[in-house]
Amino acid sequence: MKQELLLLLGVAAVWSVLAAVYALAPGLGMPGYARVWGGGAVVFLILAAVLGMTRRRTRG
Amino acid sequence: MSSPALASSSFADRLAALSSADRLLCGLLIGFALFALTLGIGYGVAMALARSGVLSFLPDTPYRILTLHGTSAFFYWLFIAQAALLIVLAAGETGRGIALRTFAWIGTVLIAAGFVLSELSALTGTPLLYDANPELGLDDPQVVAGMAGGYLLLAAGLTAISVSGIATILVGPRKVADGFSALGFGLFALAGFLIVSAVAAVNAFLPNLLWALGYAAFPKDATTEWHILFHNLHYLPLMATVLVWYALARNLTGAQSITGAAFSKVVFASYLVFVPPTSLYHMFLEPNLPESMRVAGSLLSLFVSVPTLIAFLIVVASLEAHARANGATGLFGWIRRLPWTNPVIANMGVAMLTMLIGLVFAFVLIQEKLAPLLSDTVFVPGYFHFFAVGTITQTFLAVMMVALPAISGRALWRPAVLSRMPWIVLTGLLLFGVGGIVAGFLGVPRRVVDIGYDGAAPALWRPLMALLGVGGVVFAAGLSVSLYGVARSLIPSRKPASARAGQSVAWTITGATGAPAWTGPVAVLTMVVAMYGATIVAFELMQALPVAASGSSSH
Repeated sequence: MKQELLLLLGVAAVWSVLAAVYALAPGLGMPGYARVWGGGAVVFLILAAVLGMTRRRTRG
Repeated sequence: MSSPALASSSFADRLAALSSADRLLCGLLIGFALFALTLGIGYGVAMALARSGVLSFLPDTPYRILTLHGTSAFFYWLFIAQAALLIVLAAGETGRGIALRTFAWIGTVLIAAGFVLSELSALTGTPLLYDANPELGLDDPQVVAGMAGGYLLLAAGLTAISVSGIATILVGPRKVADGFSALGFGLFALAGFLIVSAVAAVNAFLPNLLWALGYAAFPKDATTEWHILFHNLHYLPLMATVLVWYALARNLTGAQSITGAAFSKVVFASYLVFVPPTSLYHMFLEPNLPESMRVAGSLLSLFVSVPTLIAFLIVVASLEAHARANGATGLFGWIRRLPWTNPVIANMGVAMLTMLIGLVFAFVLIQEKLAPLLSDTVFVPGYFHFFAVGTITQTFLAVMMVALPAISGRALWRPAVLSRMPWIVLTGLLLFGVGGIVAGFLGVPRRVVDIGYDGAAPALWRPLMALLGVGGVVFAAGLSVSLYGVARSLIPSRKPASARAGQSVAWTITGATGAPAWTGPVAVLTMVVAMYGATIVAFELMQALPVAASGSSSH
């Protein structure tokens, strides 16, 4: 399950970077993009956390 | 395409073994999706006949029909179907029943409420078109509230069903030491993507709803927010489609992935990686988009189909290698070994073909210099029905042809008849596509039904619209027969389980994989060459014709 965790964290990282670019780059003026990609990053982080907890419980 | 959980029984066997409560929920969701598709086809036929001049309506009526067609087919058919397939494939993959079933039921009720609200609003209020544009509802905020409220209920329902889907998949891997199967991980990612799209729907429609109810100022960024949602919404069904191909290839032919489960998981995750960076091309028609963003958007748009093409290559190469290992010869000889009389294979094969055709023209449309000239013409419906109908809808119907008979116990209706329908659909799509794409190059507007312009319109416009209408009726007829055949299996059978086993449409070949597989790469190479050719033709045509950018930013 390690591969799945890394893939989900990678996805969350890409979405976070994009959200940060849209939120911080001057002149873009598209806050909706920052909200959605940021929200998506949170969703995939939560999924990664759920997967991590399931993995720990399974091993336990 | 292998999973330890699959060693002892087939996908259909595991669905048939679900509890009656689980099978009821699966059947209800699929039936609901098929009902939305029925409405979508009906409204679509009316629209095609109106565009071709066979039917004439009062001035507002075609726009109401167009709104109902888009709402029923794009939003409700495609997304209820994805919710249904998430649950069905997850339950069929793990074989351990639907987890958090209450969430799935709550989601179904929310979506049903949203469906009623959206349909009633579109039937009775000002036609806003399927994107529920609040600028068209300035004088009718009630319909803006209805359409936005309906879509928000749909988003809430999809979230609840996704939670159930995620829980169902998580139940599976506890006995699997090395984690999810590739399909299990793909479904897990799809469920996450559905939830993110619900976030995008809230971002797009909540400001509209609040304005319509008098709680906020007018949403001046509604078009931009719609584009973010729209980008997610047309990526999601493609991801679901390749997951279904992956599942069907494994379950119908026994072919194992020649690239292995780990690589397949990377491909499924790549959908999520490519979604945000490739979204900028939807903004090409926005006059205020900085030039630097246009350049970045043009470059990034080249990556938009990368995950879909890689997944296509995996599935096709796995099938080909498996067939060659079993004695198939010649470059395309292996294709003849596929059981084309099986409607599932016929649907899937035609779906792959239409995807390649659609991609050729999608790349023409998303180029920064061509998008302003073509986006408001019938080029758009001409090409995207290759995806929406040919690829996605036929793929979803294909997996329902496997799942529903297993769930209800009723054999698939006339497989020999159903196996011919995808070719009729393809014929209709080609007529519709030629009519729409050529007419688009000649400037026929997309959302204007009466294109006579008091006799000032070019003479060629009318026959091209007639061709589009004929094509629309032909593919709708083929699709309706497929839909009818699938829907027949919604009615449960009273025959005992032992009698059901022989009714499977599954086809199995056995043997090792590892043989060469060239068809996938050749198909992609051909598509790339065609893409370049179509782009060159488009540029030449655009320079030769007296066409000006029409400027609206809707898709």
